[in-house]
Amino acid sequence: MDKCHPLANLALEQTIDKILNQTQKEIESSIDSALNDSQQTLDDAIPKLDQEYDKIIADGKKEADKIEKQIIGSADIKARNKQLLALEASVDKVFTKALDEITNNDRSGDYANLIKSLLDESIRILGTSEVIVSTNSKDRDVVQSTLSGFPGSELSSDTVECIGGVIIKSKDGAMTFDNTLDARIERLKPLIRKDIAAKFGVNN
Amino acid sequence: MAAQGRIVWVSGPAVRADGMADAKMYETVTVGNSKLVGEVIRLTGDVAFIQVYESTSGLKPGEPVVGTGNPLSVLLGPGIIGQLYDGIQRPLRELSKASGSFIGRGITTTAVDMTKKYHFVPTASNGDEVSAGNIIGNVQETDLIEHPIMLPPDHVGGKLSNLVSEGDYDLETVMATTEKDGQSVDIKMYHKWPVRKPRPYNKRHDPTVPLLTGQRVIDTFFPIAKGGTGSIPGAFGTGKTVTLHQIAKWADSQVVVYIGCGERGNEMTEVLVEFPHLKDPRSGKPLMDRTVLVANTSNMPVAAREASIYTGVTIAEYYRDMGKDVVLVADSTSRWAESLREMSGRLEEMPAEEGYPSYLASRLAEFYERAGRVQAAGSPDRNGSVTLIGAVSPSGGDFTEPVTTHTMRFIKTFWALDAKLAYSRHYPSINWMNSYSGYLADIAKWWSENISKDWFSIRSETYGILQREDTLKEIVRLLGPEALPDEEKLILEVARMVKIGLLQQNSFDDVDTYCSPEKQFKLMKLLVDFYNKGQQALKEGAALSDIRELGVVSSLLKARMDIKDDEMPKLDQLDKDMQEQFKSISGVKVSN
Amino acid sequence: MTAEGGVQYSKIAEIKGPLVVVDDVESAAFDELVEIETLEGERRLGKVLEVGNGKAIVQVFEGTTGLSISGTKAKFVGKVMEMPVSKEVLGRVFDGLGRPKDGLPDPIADKFVDINGEPMNPEQREYPKDFIQTGVSVIDGLMTLVRGQKLPIFSGSGMSHNLLAAQIARQASVVGKQDDFAVVFAAIGVQYSEAEYFRRSLEESGALKRSVLFLNTADDPAIERIITPRVALTVAEYLAFDLGMHVLVVITDMTNYAEALREISAAREEVPGRKGYPGYLYTDLSTLYERAGKLDGRKGSVTQVPILSMPSDDITHPIPDLTGYITEGQIVVGRDLFRQGVYPPINILSSLSRLMKDGIGEGSTRDDHSEVSNQVYDAYSRAQEVRALAGIVGKAGLTEIDLKYMDVGDTFEKEFLTQATDENRTIEETLALMWKIVSKLPKNEITKIKDKHVEKYYKEEE
Repeated sequence: MDKCHPLANLALEQTIDKILNQTQKEIESSIDSALNDSQQTLDDAIPKLDQEYDKIIADGKKEADKIEKQIIGSADIKARNKQLLALEASVDKVFTKALDEITNNDRSGDYANLIKSLLDESIRILGTSEVIVSTNSKDRDVVQSTLSGFPGSELSSDTVECIGGVIIKSKDGAMTFDNTLDARIERLKPLIRKDIAAKFGVNN
Repeated sequence: MAAQGRIVWVSGPAVRADGMADAKMYETVTVGNSKLVGEVIRLTGDVAFIQVYESTSGLKPGEPVVGTGNPLSVLLGPGIIGQLYDGIQRPLRELSKASGSFIGRGITTTAVDMTKKYHFVPTASNGDEVSAGNIIGNVQETDLIEHPIMLPPDHVGGKLSNLVSEGDYDLETVMATTEKDGQSVDIKMYHKWPVRKPRPYNKRHDPTVPLLTGQRVIDTFFPIAKGGTGSIPGAFGTGKTVTLHQIAKWADSQVVVYIGCGERGNEMTEVLVEFPHLKDPRSGKPLMDRTVLVANTSNMPVAAREASIYTGVTIAEYYRDMGKDVVLVADSTSRWAESLREMSGRLEEMPAEEGYPSYLASRLAEFYERAGRVQAAGSPDRNGSVTLIGAVSPSGGDFTEPVTTHTMRFIKTFWALDAKLAYSRHYPSINWMNSYSGYLADIAKWWSENISKDWFSIRSETYGILQREDTLKEIVRLLGPEALPDEEKLILEVARMVKIGLLQQNSFDDVDTYCSPEKQFKLMKLLVDFYNKGQQALKEGAALSDIRELGVVSSLLKARMDIKDDEMPKLDQLDKDMQEQFKSISGVKVSN
Repeated sequence: MTAEGGVQYSKIAEIKGPLVVVDDVESAAFDELVEIETLEGERRLGKVLEVGNGKAIVQVFEGTTGLSISGTKAKFVGKVMEMPVSKEVLGRVFDGLGRPKDGLPDPIADKFVDINGEPMNPEQREYPKDFIQTGVSVIDGLMTLVRGQKLPIFSGSGMSHNLLAAQIARQASVVGKQDDFAVVFAAIGVQYSEAEYFRRSLEESGALKRSVLFLNTADDPAIERIITPRVALTVAEYLAFDLGMHVLVVITDMTNYAEALREISAAREEVPGRKGYPGYLYTDLSTLYERAGKLDGRKGSVTQVPILSMPSDDITHPIPDLTGYITEGQIVVGRDLFRQGVYPPINILSSLSRLMKDGIGEGSTRDDHSEVSNQVYDAYSRAQEVRALAGIVGKAGLTEIDLKYMDVGDTFEKEFLTQATDENRTIEETLALMWKIVSKLPKNEITKIKDKHVEKYYKEEE
């Protein structure tokens, strides 16, 4: 399988790095507070455990052991789950900001090259140059001017909702290839999430 | 010219490729960008139907298929013994070097180490007229295996020249050349042979020598001859694999080929772990030094399962041609038949019974026909044998299913495993009423010449007791044991002793796991003597309970575990004790 | 994983059963993951079963209900189905396709692993021989489980197999002492209450944080069941061979899995084998069961306890039959014992652990274990024969020794087999009970135990 276009990834990486720097502190503190919360949950659990323990000691040690395990076990899981949610919230923040940045990005200069490479790739994958290209309203001009280099291609009159990039359809309508930036980010999301998590020092 | 086509269709292990007009039936091909190994199994126009020996996950139409020009073949030469191969003779150890703990794809290896040097001692001389199968010298493959270097079976013959002198050579060295009609042919330590083609021999002998396995119920009751065929069908949990392992461990052959065909991975691991530590009872050398394993476990690609049987039997024939006795154990032929069924289904052939292809019977027949005791081709004269033992895994334990019924037509020894016996932990769970051996008369001479002239009659007497018990059991089932007269109760009692003391054998017990022919005979004779003395004592008025409670009973039952093969005097002592004890009760009248 | 996505095709030729046939497909690979998009924009997953001559046959995991010829689109994703794995999967609950079901985000993947796995190289396996004390006497004493074994429970509808599996999972884990132990639980088409029982049992023992649950319940899509055990085993292999944990995998109910397989086979119009199950059922099952084991040079292990309900309690039915040929023994739950209220109602005569011989004896359990176990089996088998006989001729027709065997049978069932669901017996306790049973027989009936062990452990009752 081919690597994704370097330009596309570069732009994304740069944006994310920039945002990461800005938001790192904020997110770190949110993770810290999640950790504190978890610790609190655990601390809370201990007096509760003591109470429970006293109450049922008469019922036999076995039962007590069971409940002890259950309470500690559940507290552990609750604490861990809070961390997961906090981390996910941070990741979402980074994503949202990155997407905003790309949406509002200047459509001149390098952006035309990006569109060209997306078109190149899509046409190669579909295996036909007889295609209809759709894009969002903001990118229409850039795409329109790039399409002159792709004989057989046509710009669709309809626009699509996306932050950038193109959707290519064969003229017979049988094949579609979604090469919007949204789709590319979605596909890379698991890897990006892993990178972000790693930058916050969350190892798994 | 090698065919160069492209894939047009993929479904599981089956691939169709077009542009294959130059391909031959059963030619091996490489499939796809990752160069998977496959074999052409049908040609229609320029479309070849290919079974692929590796996982086809990710394969796409449009990828290339390239012919090799050669049929599926094995490499035959020193270095095979001790190996664990996959179904197409790739050493699994080499595969793990390439892909770690799990089996990767598209890996090419050689079947043996081509750079290893063997010490060659020539036995032929320059100027000799030689022909196919002739031995030109020997190398020592393992401590146990002297490996003659033979001219390949399809060699045209000629005058020998350039024979190397004694010394150390690797497999690619030209050991000699032959000249005929101006053509010269190089002889190396190895050659290749197509797996689906039986290796030729001079002539066949009758199988008259028993294959001794050290397993009493086999050797004594349902023997198999060297060069014979046998089948061991049984539902799961009946101890098929343990019995086959026992045969592979203790059979008195020089070479054992063990094929794990669609079975458990851990079973092959077990052999690999265990065999190097077990000593051959005759030579004292590790059993691994005479064993070759071919493994296509159940989760490995199904097409290679079909090939594994042929790979194994071709290796077996190669060692047979050296003049060795070879035992091939295939566990399980049912899985092999299922792989035929699966490919047949993908070929959309008309199915016969239970979806198996109509050629199932002929394929089974061809396989078992590769057994035999033969005089090998070429000089010097030598006799070797291939004994074929196939496990069958009948679905639901039902012996009327197609693989079992067809197999029964082509084999002569049938060891029927019985779930009921296994449930009561009677192992090996070979049912003595449903099993048979077609070699009994042929090999009786060997026992009478080598062990005892009484062997045949004592065996018949013992078997007679078991047969009578079988009839009496019906009565007991209806009326209870108390309904029988004492003479018949004694039959039940002795039959129980025969079952526990003779038929049962504990393969996990250090002593009991192997039983010499002498010990087999003596144990059996003791039990028959016990029976006859018992009947005599009853006639003379002894009570059945007295006979039951003789101290010797428990000793007889435990003798198989307590008395080692080299302690035969102890069995003679047991005999004396028995005589004494019977004397003590004879003539003592007891009321009740 | 790359940013390059797959091509979406919109020419659907046929929809039948769980299959969608896509036309005019230029480029698709065998086994490739497919994303089906319905007219309403709903997304479902599937995979390529057959591809060629411009057609691809796609099996849709979440079923084809509501799909239409026009408006359905199929995107070929360019990779096989993968499961994201990391240590963080512990303590999580997933659906039958491996997607979070606990309201938490996707696990952040350490890596993405093909759910089909690869066959272990038999040369690289380590032969399993480490005894697992389950605390259940009948298992530890007579059908010992070892690490890396696959030992299924054959049961029937309504019987107590889940209690037993949960008890094994709880007691074999010894939480707190062994940090490297994990439980992977896969529910395949079982009732929600059964899955919930298991979850709660793990929670109560504190083992939930060392567990991963995959739940496909009875009301979830049937074809998804093909995937559930595969994602579960993929996670188990990762925990075992990447993280070095000893993983116990409980899968219930394999019968539902086989039925999903049959449904697909029928839709493809394949020639059926026995009872309509496909001819490749054996091979297919083996690609799951053979994923148990240990590997040379790696610390962890995957032990499998799959549960299957035998249709009509018939052990010769293809599902238990083919399973038994692949697994390393079987634990058979018996209807008669269950009716008598015995727990665990295990029929020892048809049960067996093939790897027992290497997991017991000196150094792991005790040197007499193998022999005393053989004797108990023999005695109980005789007891059953005598019981059958007594049913015909009455107790009066029995010999003295027959009566002793009947007594052995009763003691066996009441004192050894019967055990509370929270009773955790040590192997010493178990062996002592076995000798108690054997000691009810006169010495000359003891034919399977060497004299030295009889001398040491045999205790005649007064």
